[in-house]
Amino acid sequence: MTTFLATANLLLPLLYLATAIAYGFVFFAAHPGATRLATPALRLTVLFHLAYLAALASHHRQFPAATVSQALSIVAFAVAVVYAFVEWHGREKTTGFWMVSLVFFFQLLSSALTRPNPPDRAIFHDVFFATHVSLALLGYASFVVGAAYAFLFLQLYRDLKGGRFSTFYGKLPPLEVLEKMMIGALGVGFIALTAAVATGAFWAERLYHDAWLRDPKILITIATWVLYASALLLRRLQRWQGRQTALASLAGLGAILFSLVAVNFFLTGFHDFL
Amino acid sequence: MGTLPLEPSLLLVGTDFRCSPLEIRERVSCSSEEVEHALLHLLARPGVAEAYLLSTCNRTEVYLQPRDEDAAYQTVLDLIFLQKAPELEKPGRLYVKRNGEAAHHLLAVASGLESMVLGEPEILGQVKQSAALAEHVGSTGPVLRRLLRSALAAGARARQETAITAGAVSLGYAVVELARNIFSGLEECQVLLIGAGEIARSVARPLVERGAKELKVANRSAERARQFQEELPQAQLVPFEERLDAARTADVVVASTSAEEPILTRRQLKEAMVSRRNRPLLVVDLGVPRNVEPAAARIENLFLHTIDSLDLLIQKNLKRRKEEVPRVEEILDQELQHFRSWVRGLEAEPIIAQMQKQAERIRQHELEEVLSRFPAETHADLERLTRSLVRKILHHPSTRLRGRDGSRDISRLDLVRELFRLDDEKQPDDQSSG
Repeated sequence: MTTFLATANLLLPLLYLATAIAYGFVFFAAHPGATRLATPALRLTVLFHLAYLAALASHHRQFPAATVSQALSIVAFAVAVVYAFVEWHGREKTTGFWMVSLVFFFQLLSSALTRPNPPDRAIFHDVFFATHVSLALLGYASFVVGAAYAFLFLQLYRDLKGGRFSTFYGKLPPLEVLEKMMIGALGVGFIALTAAVATGAFWAERLYHDAWLRDPKILITIATWVLYASALLLRRLQRWQGRQTALASLAGLGAILFSLVAVNFFLTGFHDFL
Repeated sequence: MGTLPLEPSLLLVGTDFRCSPLEIRERVSCSSEEVEHALLHLLARPGVAEAYLLSTCNRTEVYLQPRDEDAAYQTVLDLIFLQKAPELEKPGRLYVKRNGEAAHHLLAVASGLESMVLGEPEILGQVKQSAALAEHVGSTGPVLRRLLRSALAAGARARQETAITAGAVSLGYAVVELARNIFSGLEECQVLLIGAGEIARSVARPLVERGAKELKVANRSAERARQFQEELPQAQLVPFEERLDAARTADVVVASTSAEEPILTRRQLKEAMVSRRNRPLLVVDLGVPRNVEPAAARIENLFLHTIDSLDLLIQKNLKRRKEEVPRVEEILDQELQHFRSWVRGLEAEPIIAQMQKQAERIRQHELEEVLSRFPAETHADLERLTRSLVRKILHHPSTRLRGRDGSRDISRLDLVRELFRLDDEKQPDDQSSG
């Protein structure tokens, strides 16, 4: 089992990289061979990733989100699944390169940060913990997908506004569709993050009383939540247009990465498990 | 014993936009009835075995499978070209291509490589329609039918596997392309044209063709607007003074008037954007001097394009199409190879049939001689065994002769004829068995 986990940890970034390259050929060259290969490659890699996560859970006998590395791997997996669904549903492969590149980035980070023996605490075996963390990671994955669509939206917006017609022009879905996909992903992410914050607050109140409110991760997560809530509300009220919402989405992604990685390495708090 | 040709026997005589001006091209251009008539006349000539005529606004080309090449050439020259336009006799007005070169030309035409606008997609449909017409008349035989199949396959593959037809290369389609990059569907888009001149018409047609939901036209001269509506009955006329109200509900606004001052100012468009709750608006200014105040480009979610940015888009698309030419050429080579293999197979078929006939004769002769020495209940098995032996022995040589393995050495057909003495009409049985 240990050998499989070590091998999969090395293989996963490579498989995602190969898949991203195939999607790159689809995006930049509309290569017919790559167009045929990219989707099966992604699906096989996602299945392999699922097997890896299952093996991780079985080997350590706990929900595989005990370390930053494991959490990043789950985020990568969730983004890949969300994109595979979007592609299947919309029959739209042109955004695959950007999505799978993000997945590759998250998995690479996960593989690089992996530790042989994750901590074993009582809470990692708690169903409540698994629910809280799953909701948070689903939210993060959706925000990552939303940020990817936001990035593409901004590129196409700039091309259409300035009449520059860069590499992105003509290869992406229309601006309106990109905006809908971005708002949809942000909406799902916001609901999941809200549920994660609520379950976390309820649980932390029981365990740590009010000390949890001073935890840096909690503070950053609440700030992220406020940012997304404001962006979605302002868009809903037509005060903001797609461009401002896209910029907010990218800022939100920065906050998530900070919350996921930097806080764990540079700051201390009770949330040090993840 | 003659040597078999490496190339199919084909003759192409034609003229196109590169060789002849429009004034000549329109005289030799044929309607469907004229094409039908011409094909029947060509077929009636002894020098012509098969004929196909392609006539579009940019080219008139006749493809023949000749029995007598000189006679066929003279017939086409007189019947299709010189009779209608004697000026075509001048050097350089007509092109004549033969065999493989003629076949390659038809494939290139179907793929849009020979079109005035590189990659123009309509030509494939025109080749297809002309092929159907020739088939209906009965002027295409096995060779031209197979060549047309290759041409249509090459054209379809070029469209599917390369970007040779990608991107708009005309003003009207450039507007369609911009709209498609902004809105989720053109069929949901309302279009407002301000101005009803030639430019407005050239933009309106592609938008209507591609399914724009609603087309409104605002023009200073009501008479001109009515003329526009006669040409495009889908268009709804709007008084020029109400253009701003119409802009509030439109998704695409195209201005192409000769007004000296902007007819849409930044302030007016900003107000329009507020009342349309900032939904995206594509504004295309094709007027010179400009019809839309350039400062309007700064309004959020308003995409202002001028003739210059549209030209930039067209040039970019043309460049992209040019870059695809080598990939299309690869497809043409592959399809031409299939066609040539088929022609070689056609040449090999009579020889294969002769080989099989000869082998069968030997089998029967040998079997008759020995059958009486074996019990009757084994005869069926012997029959089956000898048939199987003959079939298996001939399978590989037959496949090689048909050239399905990609081999190109046609001289092997001559060798087979000689080895098996296939040219001898009467083969003595004793020799075969010896």
